[in-house]
Amino acid sequence: MTDLMPPTKNKWWKSRDVRKTFILWVILTAGIGIFGSQFHLLAMPEPASEVMSGVIGLMSLFSWAAAPVAALVFAICITALTTTRHYGDTPPPEADHQISNSPRANATWISVSALLCLFALVVGLVVFQKEGDAVLEENAIHVNVVGQQWAWNYDYPNGARSETLYLPVGVPAIFHVTSKDVKHSFWVVEMGIKMDANPGYSTETAVTPNKIGVFNVRCAELCGLLHAYMQNKVHVVSKADFEKWLDDRSTLEARP
Amino acid sequence: MTATMNHPAAAAGKSRKPIIEHLNIVTAFALGAISAFVVWRLALQFLPEDSEVRLFTREDKITLLSMIAWFVGFMTGIGALVAPFRWVMGKDLSHEENMFLAGKDMGIKRYFRYTTDHKVVGIQYLVITMVIFGIGGILAMLIRANLGTPEGGWIHPQAYNSIVGTHGIIMIVGTIIMVTGPIGNFIMPIMIGARDMAFPRLNALSFWLIVAAAVPLIWAQFIGGISTGWSAYNPLAGQAPLGMNGYIMFICIFALSTMVAGANITTTVVRMRAKGMTWNRTPILIYGIVASVALALPAFPVFFLSQVMSGMDRALDTSFYNPAGGGSGWLYENLFWIMGHPEVYVILIPAVAALMEMAPVFTRRPLFSFNVAVMGIAGISGLSVLVWAHHMYISGWAPLLNAPFMLTTELISIPTGMLFLVLVGTLWRGRLWMTMPTMSIFALLWNFMIGGVTGIYLSDVPADAFLHGSMYVTAHFHYTLMGAGLTGAIAAIVFWFPKMTGRMFDKRLSWVSFWMVQIGFNVTFAGMFIVGLQGQPRRVEAYPALFNQGNLVTSLGAAVIMSGMLVLLYGVISSWRNGVKAPMNPWHAKTLEWTVPNPIPLENFDVLPTVTSDPYGYGKEKK
Repeated sequence: MTDLMPPTKNKWWKSRDVRKTFILWVILTAGIGIFGSQFHLLAMPEPASEVMSGVIGLMSLFSWAAAPVAALVFAICITALTTTRHYGDTPPPEADHQISNSPRANATWISVSALLCLFALVVGLVVFQKEGDAVLEENAIHVNVVGQQWAWNYDYPNGARSETLYLPVGVPAIFHVTSKDVKHSFWVVEMGIKMDANPGYSTETAVTPNKIGVFNVRCAELCGLLHAYMQNKVHVVSKADFEKWLDDRSTLEARP
Repeated sequence: MTATMNHPAAAAGKSRKPIIEHLNIVTAFALGAISAFVVWRLALQFLPEDSEVRLFTREDKITLLSMIAWFVGFMTGIGALVAPFRWVMGKDLSHEENMFLAGKDMGIKRYFRYTTDHKVVGIQYLVITMVIFGIGGILAMLIRANLGTPEGGWIHPQAYNSIVGTHGIIMIVGTIIMVTGPIGNFIMPIMIGARDMAFPRLNALSFWLIVAAAVPLIWAQFIGGISTGWSAYNPLAGQAPLGMNGYIMFICIFALSTMVAGANITTTVVRMRAKGMTWNRTPILIYGIVASVALALPAFPVFFLSQVMSGMDRALDTSFYNPAGGGSGWLYENLFWIMGHPEVYVILIPAVAALMEMAPVFTRRPLFSFNVAVMGIAGISGLSVLVWAHHMYISGWAPLLNAPFMLTTELISIPTGMLFLVLVGTLWRGRLWMTMPTMSIFALLWNFMIGGVTGIYLSDVPADAFLHGSMYVTAHFHYTLMGAGLTGAIAAIVFWFPKMTGRMFDKRLSWVSFWMVQIGFNVTFAGMFIVGLQGQPRRVEAYPALFNQGNLVTSLGAAVIMSGMLVLLYGVISSWRNGVKAPMNPWHAKTLEWTVPNPIPLENFDVLPTVTSDPYGYGKEKK
């Protein structure tokens, strides 16, 4: 906004409101960045996979990337609100300038937003690429996930079938998700993966659990009456425990 | 009214009282109800039994046929067919009849007829928008009351799902018409210096179609409700109760209304601007309204089509969306979101443009970078038709398309940023005249910033794999559509209230409701962001104890919003009835609508104005 001041006077950055905005901008950038990243960090569940850690990292990073922009807008708002305020039924005198454009401000604003956009895209693509590779793991365990109103069924390669998901820690798991009736969405909350269960089609998603524990599976697509109750647990156990569970399970199923 | 009404062939007087004078809302409802009943009875009698293929097919046919009969009966009863019929017969409406249709010297009755005057249509739209928000707000409060306690509320899940669906769809409709309806019909023609819309009868048609559409939606509540959420995904919609037919009819009729209004408003702005109002001198609100309705023109036919197919799947056993018969639910999702994403900008753009229109008035300086504002609106409109599949990142439909759709979605942040630049640029070194619309500009910047930034998280494919379908999404789009959109619309109502009603909006009440709504809003949806991040899915009627606190905060906040809205409603009613009489130009603004007297004469201008300067010539010239 260089044109606001005639060149004979002080440099534009020396005027009071510019300085005030600048100081506000610095403070707000830090504030928003810290708040934004902490807000997401504190609210989101403890990650149980690298994918989820990646998502949390992304959210923090994006919060920091958005902070300067949001801070600039809010700083200008605060400066405007604290400089001249007029109450009453008649308007204040008109502003002491008629400036209706600033090519420099336009160009700066648009190029910075384009750069930020590019940044978000590249960061997103990098994480996305990593996740895509997971589906190609060779030593992965394959689980067929079948949604139906209103429960999940899991089929393992050895014929075992379970209503609760068991996964070995540290081994990539590939889910083949489908549905018997309407559309559901298979969401393993703490692992940050989600895939719609479509009737008639099977879709894939993959994750490597990196923590032993009990986590949540929830349906994330309205699927009728008891959608809210279509959730259960996923047990991530050690490799040995998993083998044992799988054996028990398959013999249980095989029994007539 | 335009030249059509002066058609010399139609100037001959009539001896008998023409039929249009007998038709009004009562005949419309009566004829609609009778037709629906007759067709229902006939269908019940003569439709053959089903071959047990599906449970509801016959009932679906009967319901849909009765609803179509309602629609045809209602539109006939209100008088929509009189003019076309007369024209076909070669007996076009006379000048007097056209003036009657325009509501000349008719008083309050004109609001209940097929009146073509754009000011009447604008008020009709204003009232119906408020009714829609009232009902939608009550439904929202029911949702929040049910979610006040975890582990199952007191509403039956079926009813709860239906409340969620109805709240969703009517709020979408309400927000679509909230600016382009009242402001776009009432203010826009005066603002561009026209005597009426290009097609006054289509204008009346677009309003009465909404009334006709409302009835199937109410009807639906009594035959099972809309238990699918507003998106009505198939195959869930295929197995939903009969109420789904009400949704289908509602969307089809509303889509017609939007298309008619879109064609009408676009033509009016392109063809009927006053002499001298070049594109560079056209106020930014006009751009916003045109972008909005023009965007609806490609979007809503798709919505219409998607619901026709949905209805055929139900009633005629076709299988557009049924995988067993070779169809696909993904087809529905695609069609739905090809409408659904442009539609959010249909809602947002005119609201932001309305605040841009007010910004120079209340900062007493020119709009900053008018060209950037126009390009921002154009850029959003253009990109918005290319982003629909970001609603389908995790649907498994086309994983390879996720990256390109992520690109187009994130590109939208550039034109959206332009709108921010225009607003903050205008605030910078302006002389703030503190009114409720002024403060709304700040509220919009705040809410829209939060809505926009969370939109960038959601546009990111890996983050969306976590966030999709969670309450985070719900909070995000409420921040954009309500925090930004509705804030702009309410400010617009307060700003143009003096011109629309001839009275000033009560200042105190506008401030009280502003702060209540804004604070309540931010509390509500902050709570919703938190439970979304913690992992609560959308559209659930019960949740684990983990989400207690966030939901409680949200429910409390919602109560504050509701109270604020009631204050606003009281403000509208009391100011309308006995507010201070408004001067011709209370805001000392420079656009054309403030040059006509209150109350505005039937055809706005005696002599059509000529525009000689741009509408934002505030500020003192530098010596």
